[in-house]
Amino acid sequence: MSGVTEAPGAAEAGDDARASRKLGLYLTLPAQLLVLFIAVFPLLMQLYISLTGWSPLTGMGWWNAWSLWNSFQNYVELAVDNRWWSALLRTLLVMVVCVPAEFLLGLGLATLFMDNFYGKRAFYSILLMPMMVVPAVAGYMFFMLFQSGGPVNDLLSTLSGQNIAIAWLSNPSLAMVAVMVADIWQWTPLMFLILLAGLVGVQEDQLKAATLLGANWRQRFVTIMLPRMKTIIIIALAIRTIENFKIFDTLYIMTGGGPGVATETISVYIYKLITNDLNWGYVAAIALVILLTLSVALGIAISRMGKASTEVTK
Amino acid sequence: MRRSPAFELFRYAVIVLAIAITLVPIAWMASMAFKPIAEWQATGNNLTWWPKNPTLDNFRFIFGESSTELIVALERTAAKPILASLLASVFGTLIAMAAGSAAAYGLSRFKAGGNLPLALIQLRLFPPMAVMIPVMIMWAFLKLNDTWWGLALVYGIVTLPFAFWLMKTFFDEMPREIEEAALVEGCSRFRVFLKVTLPMMAAPLASSALFVFILNWSDYLIALLLTTREWVTIPVYMASLSSSMTGQLYGAKAALGLIAAVPPIIAGIAIQKHLVRGLTFGALKQ
Repeated sequence: MSGVTEAPGAAEAGDDARASRKLGLYLTLPAQLLVLFIAVFPLLMQLYISLTGWSPLTGMGWWNAWSLWNSFQNYVELAVDNRWWSALLRTLLVMVVCVPAEFLLGLGLATLFMDNFYGKRAFYSILLMPMMVVPAVAGYMFFMLFQSGGPVNDLLSTLSGQNIAIAWLSNPSLAMVAVMVADIWQWTPLMFLILLAGLVGVQEDQLKAATLLGANWRQRFVTIMLPRMKTIIIIALAIRTIENFKIFDTLYIMTGGGPGVATETISVYIYKLITNDLNWGYVAAIALVILLTLSVALGIAISRMGKASTEVTK
Repeated sequence: MRRSPAFELFRYAVIVLAIAITLVPIAWMASMAFKPIAEWQATGNNLTWWPKNPTLDNFRFIFGESSTELIVALERTAAKPILASLLASVFGTLIAMAAGSAAAYGLSRFKAGGNLPLALIQLRLFPPMAVMIPVMIMWAFLKLNDTWWGLALVYGIVTLPFAFWLMKTFFDEMPREIEEAALVEGCSRFRVFLKVTLPMMAAPLASSALFVFILNWSDYLIALLLTTREWVTIPVYMASLSSSMTGQLYGAKAALGLIAAVPPIIAGIAIQKHLVRGLTFGALKQ
């Protein structure tokens, strides 16, 4: 970062500055409007609906929802909704298994790619493929792989010499394993990609300089590698944690949240509420609780990061 | 760096294993797509890993040719869902790129935009499922439900953060001196943008657009909630390729899945060197 840069032609102040400000405003206006359109107005609408027992089945417009006003009943209900809490726990379980697994596998692979070797570019391109596959299609791939008469069992049978016919997707705990395997398959490449970029960046930038200045391996690792990799590791983990929290496509195609509710994450639970139960007032309440919690978390994270970066620059 | 032969052996062993794990699911789907019915219905001991009698029947089937062996013909072919996916993704990309790169230019050059960057990060943070209720209500009201243009509008907004952050890093990197020189020579701001900035940004714009296209093309959840019949996209349509009579139409699904998987893989390889930047909101460059 180069710090504060002067606007072009800053010397000629006055009219020019005003014109620039105006142009800047016009340029950002479409994006502002789109955000307003999808965020602010809908948020207010959601807040309003969340205080009512409104559902599209009532046949009346959402603006008439006040006639079904139930104050904070939806929120009270949410606090004692066991299905919600277990969906949340399941979402967190998937997160604490998948994100570290993807991180470790990605980091391991990335360290192997730090220097040149024969076939590196081709291997690299192939390893990135899973994250480019449409998640719904990936879900379908693993749906096929984990059928009881499917290739995974076939492979296991061949390896063990016995006839294995595990019903992966209809066993509550194995279905969870299958879903996690699919997520790890698809998103380890992302960790690999980001961490490798970090490792290579460190190498090229400063390591040679440090070596020239006489730093030994340990000094290089502690003073250069670690601080630089720390930011990158945080970014990689943050991205995967956020995305993993939303998990829906792959999982829903593989199991539909089942068997029963065995793999039901919060996105799947909300989806079922939206389409089956049609209790939209309740869904709006859940949505607002999620949005509020995440916004607070983001605020804390940003202020922490701000502090950390000022400390670093000092 | 010089490495020992033992290390090289270890490295190739690990990489070959990783490549195998990477490719098996994709290869299995590709193999299913070219299998005749008897082979894709086979399970357990009759399972064939590679099609013995490769055929294009599955592709013909999803494009409307009735199958005598399945005794079913599709009520609707895959042609329109493919069109829906294409239209919604392409126009969604155009919306995101137009609004996103304009805002990025405004912020990069004039420090305009206020808290827009933060709002856009927030937009990305939220699970889409949690904001779909108001969107569904609004879209029903605006008669945008079950249309590709309604879907394109949501896609444009959902991927706006990526378009914005990607283009912002590219604009930040572009040397200002060139624009300034043109300004000094008397060009208007707009002309400078049109004749100097835009041509220089052609490659970054193209890579960003491809990146955004991949994201739009990959959507399932939004289309699942906003399209019901006329303009369902490929992933939503896929679910209809099974019936109580025939069960899962594995071959047809695999063929369609293969069609859906190919464009983003090609686009992804084309923009490989910008992937890190895109995925980390420009925080990291390769």
